[in-house]
Amino acid sequence: MKAFLTRRKTLLVAASAALALSLSACGGSSSTTTNPPVAEKPSFAADSTMAKLSNAGKITIGTKFDQPLFGQKGLDGKPVGFDVEIGKLIAAKLGIPADKIEWVETVSANREEFLKQGKVDMIVATYTINDKRKTQVDFAGPYYEAGQALMVNKDNNSITKPEDLKGKNVCSVTGSTPAQTIVEKYGAVLVPAATYSACLEPLRNHQVEAVTTDNVILAGFVSKEPDAFKLASDQTFTKEPYGIGLKKDDKTFRMWINDQLEAFAKDGSYKKAWDATAGTVIKTAPELPAINRY
Amino acid sequence: MDVIIENLPQYWDGFLRTLFLSVVSGIIALIFGTVLAAARVSPIAALRGFSMVYVEIVRNTPLTIAFFFAAVVLPRLGITFQQFEVAAIIALSAYTSAFIAEAVRSGVNSVPVGQAEAARSIGMKFSQVLTLIILPQALRTVIPPLINILIALVKNSSVAGAFYVLELFGQGKQLANANGDAVVWVLVGVAFFYLLITIPLGYLANVVERKVAIAR
Amino acid sequence: MTTQVPGDALVSLKAVNKHYGQLHVLKDINLNVRKGEVVVVIGPSGSGKSTLCRAINRLETIDDGEIRIDGKELPAEGKELAKLRADVGMVFQSFNLFAHKTILENVTLGPIKVKGVSKAEADKDAMALLERVGVGHQAPKLPAQLSGGQQQRVAIARALAMKPKVMLFDEPTSALDPEMINEVLDVMVQLAKEGMTMIVVTHEMGFARKAADRVVFMADGQIVEDATPEEFFSNPKSSRAKDFLSKLLTH
Ligand SMILES: Nc1ncnc2c1ncn2[C@@H]1O[C@H](COP(=O)(O)OP(=O)(O)OP(=O)(O)O)[C@@H](O)[C@H]1O
Ligand SMILES: [Mg+2]
Repeated sequence: MKAFLTRRKTLLVAASAALALSLSACGGSSSTTTNPPVAEKPSFAADSTMAKLSNAGKITIGTKFDQPLFGQKGLDGKPVGFDVEIGKLIAAKLGIPADKIEWVETVSANREEFLKQGKVDMIVATYTINDKRKTQVDFAGPYYEAGQALMVNKDNNSITKPEDLKGKNVCSVTGSTPAQTIVEKYGAVLVPAATYSACLEPLRNHQVEAVTTDNVILAGFVSKEPDAFKLASDQTFTKEPYGIGLKKDDKTFRMWINDQLEAFAKDGSYKKAWDATAGTVIKTAPELPAINRY
Repeated sequence: MDVIIENLPQYWDGFLRTLFLSVVSGIIALIFGTVLAAARVSPIAALRGFSMVYVEIVRNTPLTIAFFFAAVVLPRLGITFQQFEVAAIIALSAYTSAFIAEAVRSGVNSVPVGQAEAARSIGMKFSQVLTLIILPQALRTVIPPLINILIALVKNSSVAGAFYVLELFGQGKQLANANGDAVVWVLVGVAFFYLLITIPLGYLANVVERKVAIAR
Repeated sequence: MTTQVPGDALVSLKAVNKHYGQLHVLKDINLNVRKGEVVVVIGPSGSGKSTLCRAINRLETIDDGEIRIDGKELPAEGKELAKLRADVGMVFQSFNLFAHKTILENVTLGPIKVKGVSKAEADKDAMALLERVGVGHQAPKLPAQLSGGQQQRVAIARALAMKPKVMLFDEPTSALDPEMINEVLDVMVQLAKEGMTMIVVTHEMGFARKAADRVVFMADGQIVEDATPEEFFSNPKSSRAKDFLSKLLTH
């Protein structure tokens, strides 16, 4: 008994060292940044938000600072990612160059407040459109439809869709909606964890077959460790529309942004933005979802 | 209130898993803790040292670390289990055994030293002195604190909810998320099922304590 | 291991020293006890009498010197020591009966667990011993239900059950009420008459006169006098012994 335990202790020490090493060894594929052509002296109806921003020559945009591939602060202090690219494209249409954008970190808990208080002019921050939020803010878009997906070990080719997980161990965060879906709809065995990053170890050690939540979050993990993990498929099996958050009741601005989004899709800048960022992991570039012009 | 009744199957599932973790870890910890206590009073210095270091380290680190080692570090070393209950049991029994070792040791110290000397003087080996003379007498004083340690074990098992095991607390978190409007009732339900285990244990501790008091 | 033992000494201590930290409790002790001899050890409190007894039984380690029982040197630890200890019976001032065992079990435990005697045989022997020390009818009781004198007699029976070569007594009557002292001393006198080798720490001068072959007087960790009882009591040589005896008589 004693021999077993002492052995175990030495192993544990070795293991913590290994863990520390692996934690510092992040990296892998990441977003690059682009500089969309800035519109020369665009003209807008006087009094419109567009005219105000355009005349001021600068804009404040809220985004996430910690979501790889969508909005993550880089080494130079500027965020990079697909959300950031969308923000830059819109700013350019207002005649505002990328270096005149002030990026503000918005997190799930403060997004509505920041819009209401005017701390930001718009928010592009993996912001899911739902009815509850619509009572407080307006959404342009959706500009992207995220959804629940599966992450597996790089060498695992047997899992491609949620149906493949029946009776298998799947890790997700205790109590989250994706956790419920995978159990109730697809009959997987839930291995609950406190956070999504806590799911990585069991996956690595083949104690679970897959990790499930939004593809955006999973793609972030894959981008950090592209040699260890991959998305089981680029397809998602639920729909989470991401919108651009705006102050309530500025319909002119909202409709103008909607028009721009459609223009980006047409002229290929939407795909370009995707390929430079999230496209490094989610190879299939999405189509712009049908805009909801309410 | 309805939320508890509607989700009784989930509660029951979590309750059984909590009970399972507690019983199995409790038995392992009782055995291993007693062995540790024996090592602590043994004539072999290396055993004494090992026991002391183990008990002091484990007793003075958070349970979460034990869970982290069992559920994350061990698998990295190739010791994997498809059932995460195994990791929870390793963590809980490794942790609890340190407290049991301390309780048993103080029980052993409560037995007058003359008992051990008399046993040694008729030629008993250390193991005989311990198992025939010291431990049976130590047990009486040790049972009430042991039960308290087991009650703590039942509550501590809730940490497993954050380490891949859907026990009572984990089920509670699931339910709380699904029933955002009735979180208070969900938690009342969780507490009720914990009490279903801990209150009888506490009652047992009281009974034993009274019995021991009379026997003195 | 079998160097020449002086005479036919059953217990032999040669140049034994022991310290408790700074305190030198046994100073160069030399003592030989022959088979069948009864040696009474007396001396003031703190002079090292108990330590001497406990060293002979190896309940305490010694710093240097050697202790032999029947020619064999005491081993350091482990099984060998356990075996040798069984050859040395010990009776403690505070009885130390196993509190959770019956009187009968107290006596049979050693033979059964240490010597591997069958339960039936151990029970028979134990009952005979308990009868001999006069507590046969108490066999099924627990120690706490017996008087001090009865408990001490059981403790003697427990030690005898191992068929020891020598018996050590460390103040066996000091914890007893006066009216119970004699019932224990009677058993000890009887034992002496039957030829048991005994080392007895006691302040009972009556016992020393009646049963002892020698009296050893200790002071400050040293053996100061070693004489027959008549010699020692009538004509003590050292001033320490004289002083001690005069105080004992006035009490
Ligand atoms: N475990 C111990 N640690 C430290 N000192 C001790 C220990 N046991 C005894 N002593 C000291 O050693 C000395 C001798 O003690 P010992 O018990 O042998 O004396 P004694 O002659 O039996 O006295 P008494 O007549 O009071 O029983 C005393 O000074 C005592 O305080
Ligand atoms: Mg003494």
